[in-house]
Amino acid sequence: MSTEPPLARAYDNLRPIILQRLLDMRATLDPSFGRIDEATARAQISAVLEHLGNFLASGDLGSHRAFLQTFLAMRAAEAQGAAAVLAMLVAIGDTAAQVAQDELAGSIDGSELTLLLTRVTATTARAINDLVAEELARRTGQWNELAARERGKP
Amino acid sequence: MTQTASQHGIRVAGDTNVGKVRETNEDSMIVDPVRGLYVVLDGMGGANAGDVASQTARDAIREYVMQYRTTTDPRTLIEAAIQHASATVFNAAQQARERHGMGTTVVGCIVVDEKRAVVAHVGDSRAYLLRNGRVQMLTRDHTIVEELVDKGLLSAEEAERHPYKNVLSRNLGAKPETRVDVTDVELRPGDRLMLCSDGLYGYASAEAIQYLLGSGDAPEHVARDLIDLALRGGGGDNVTTIVIEAPQPPPSSTEVVRTTGAMQWWQRRSRFLQIAKDRGLTKNPIVRGLDPEEALELIASSLCQAVFHDLEKSTGVNVWTFAQNIAGGWFERSGEWAPLRALMDILATAARAVVDDIGVADPKLGFLLSIAVSRALVVGELAIGGLLAERLNRVDANLIKVHAAMQETVDTAQETALEDTGDRFIDNPTVPFLRPDRPVTSPGVSAELIKAIEQTITIARSRTSQRAELVKQILSSLETIAIDATGNFASAVLAAREIYGVRPVDDTGIMPLFDALDQARIITAASVHQITAPDAMRAKVLRALSSAHQRLVGATTGLVLEAVAPYSERLREVQAKTSEMRDQVAKFERKRADLERKYATTIDHSQPWEKRGTTEW
Repeated sequence: MSTEPPLARAYDNLRPIILQRLLDMRATLDPSFGRIDEATARAQISAVLEHLGNFLASGDLGSHRAFLQTFLAMRAAEAQGAAAVLAMLVAIGDTAAQVAQDELAGSIDGSELTLLLTRVTATTARAINDLVAEELARRTGQWNELAARERGKP
Repeated sequence: MTQTASQHGIRVAGDTNVGKVRETNEDSMIVDPVRGLYVVLDGMGGANAGDVASQTARDAIREYVMQYRTTTDPRTLIEAAIQHASATVFNAAQQARERHGMGTTVVGCIVVDEKRAVVAHVGDSRAYLLRNGRVQMLTRDHTIVEELVDKGLLSAEEAERHPYKNVLSRNLGAKPETRVDVTDVELRPGDRLMLCSDGLYGYASAEAIQYLLGSGDAPEHVARDLIDLALRGGGGDNVTTIVIEAPQPPPSSTEVVRTTGAMQWWQRRSRFLQIAKDRGLTKNPIVRGLDPEEALELIASSLCQAVFHDLEKSTGVNVWTFAQNIAGGWFERSGEWAPLRALMDILATAARAVVDDIGVADPKLGFLLSIAVSRALVVGELAIGGLLAERLNRVDANLIKVHAAMQETVDTAQETALEDTGDRFIDNPTVPFLRPDRPVTSPGVSAELIKAIEQTITIARSRTSQRAELVKQILSSLETIAIDATGNFASAVLAAREIYGVRPVDDTGIMPLFDALDQARIITAASVHQITAPDAMRAKVLRALSSAHQRLVGATTGLVLEAVAPYSERLREVQAKTSEMRDQVAKFERKRADLERKYATTIDHSQPWEKRGTTEW
């Protein structure tokens, strides 16, 4: 058993570059990132990148879902809708893959990491949609219940 | 006669034609890929001397280059070869009377390697370079007119119309020595060099030449098409052209995906459909009621086609449209999420299996396609995500409506209870610092001042729009406050309460009120100047009304603050709570990240990534 898989290590080495590229384009990731100062944006994007690193190493979809659930709630508190969160996470994943492709061009690690990050992005998009669909079902149920209660009033 | 050759990835083709008017072809050419030597010559002189001149020069150049190419640098070599040819032609002309005055133009090129060439010329045979779709002329014609233009004695327009525009100032053979222009050319992948005699550019437009050179066709086709072009343009002269193409750059990943990748994907279409069928696509509730083949065609085949077109065009628009149509249609039918997820998973599995197949045969292409197809599937998820978010917003709006309706019921019940007590809103003073008996400096109000104030307000009312009820109400209040002899705040507070009424504490409730207050201030200030009174009295009126306005605004602001006070308090509480929760979330995030890291070091990394986690992939 290895303590640090090579791809996760390669990703960790690239993280500062990915972070910088994301910070440079943060206003296009989401308008709310454009409005906040760099330090706050750095902290928020770093949290996502750190989690991605852990997910790359573990491949544990359960913990990934849990992270995404919290992230969706946190961004909702900042008035960012589910579609915007999805688009933002996909953009972060795509940028990470792009950096891996650019920085590790020609190496086996570079190709594998690019592919893995692309798959992680696909997994993330899938998981976000599942979470939103579950929330939609929950709220639809709530609405049906309240509407029925309203209709039942004299 | 077409000559084609290829060396070091450089492809060359040359072609020459007598044209439609001349009987003999006085042009010559060298296409010698072994020595990297390419030359076009255009002979001139009566009694068949032109062809002798060009052939003599051609042979002289070839021999010279063969003899000295290993010992001389390319730039010196081609220049010396042309000088040698000039002397040879001159000498030949001297030996026979009928060849006196014969000569030839020349444009030659030594391709050193795939990155460098040297071009030399004498006369009006030309060299062109095509790079990134643009053509540039590398040579400048040696004509008398062109030299006059160079010296600034003729304009370009004048040169174009000049009767001697084709008269050469230099050629090979007129003298034993001639001046040769030599140019170094740095070749880039995909560049095309074209050498030609005036029989080409004299009978074909520059645009047509550029189009053919940039067509992407093989050099032999381009050379032949250029000759045809000149012939179609009249073919009034011999025409010769050589096309030299530097090696094409290796195709980019995007190009590979767009061409080979898309083709390979499409060729495995039936495999994609088979996997989708095996995985149960035809049993999915979304296609219930459809014939299995029809279902496969409608769903799997459509996606396969959408991916193909997106790969081909490097876009995501087709997969986006596909996903939006499928998901939109299903949601419209009030479909559940699970079948849609299952359907998308089946399609994703089939897509990955096809890509894996391609990867077995061609790992590099498989890798590129794997990324491209994964991205296509993400685009599909993005389209579905947009629909889900839209529906979530709609349900949220409905929830808010239901909540608002329920709240209204509660409010009505509370209002009824309040009415029962017999109290009115304005009977309950709620602003402690605005006590009615609070003393303020009384300016004292004389009868003259009262009259002047009334006159001002009357004018102000007449200047106010009929519909501006709130402004009119404020004007009346200002009058009351201004002529209040007690000079305290009571009248202002009462007036403010009347104006304020029951307004929602939001932009639609508060902003019109303050706008009206401001408007009333402006109108009264303007109206003061219209009353018939001495300036001193006008000043007193203005002071009294300004003071009244200040009191009214103060009292109104007090009421607004009072109204929003509970909300502010609640907002502060919520903000504090949110901040506390954020801290907690951040703490848990850190804790979870630590745990994840710890967990990541204990798992078996020899397993494939998707099989490592505790959660089923």
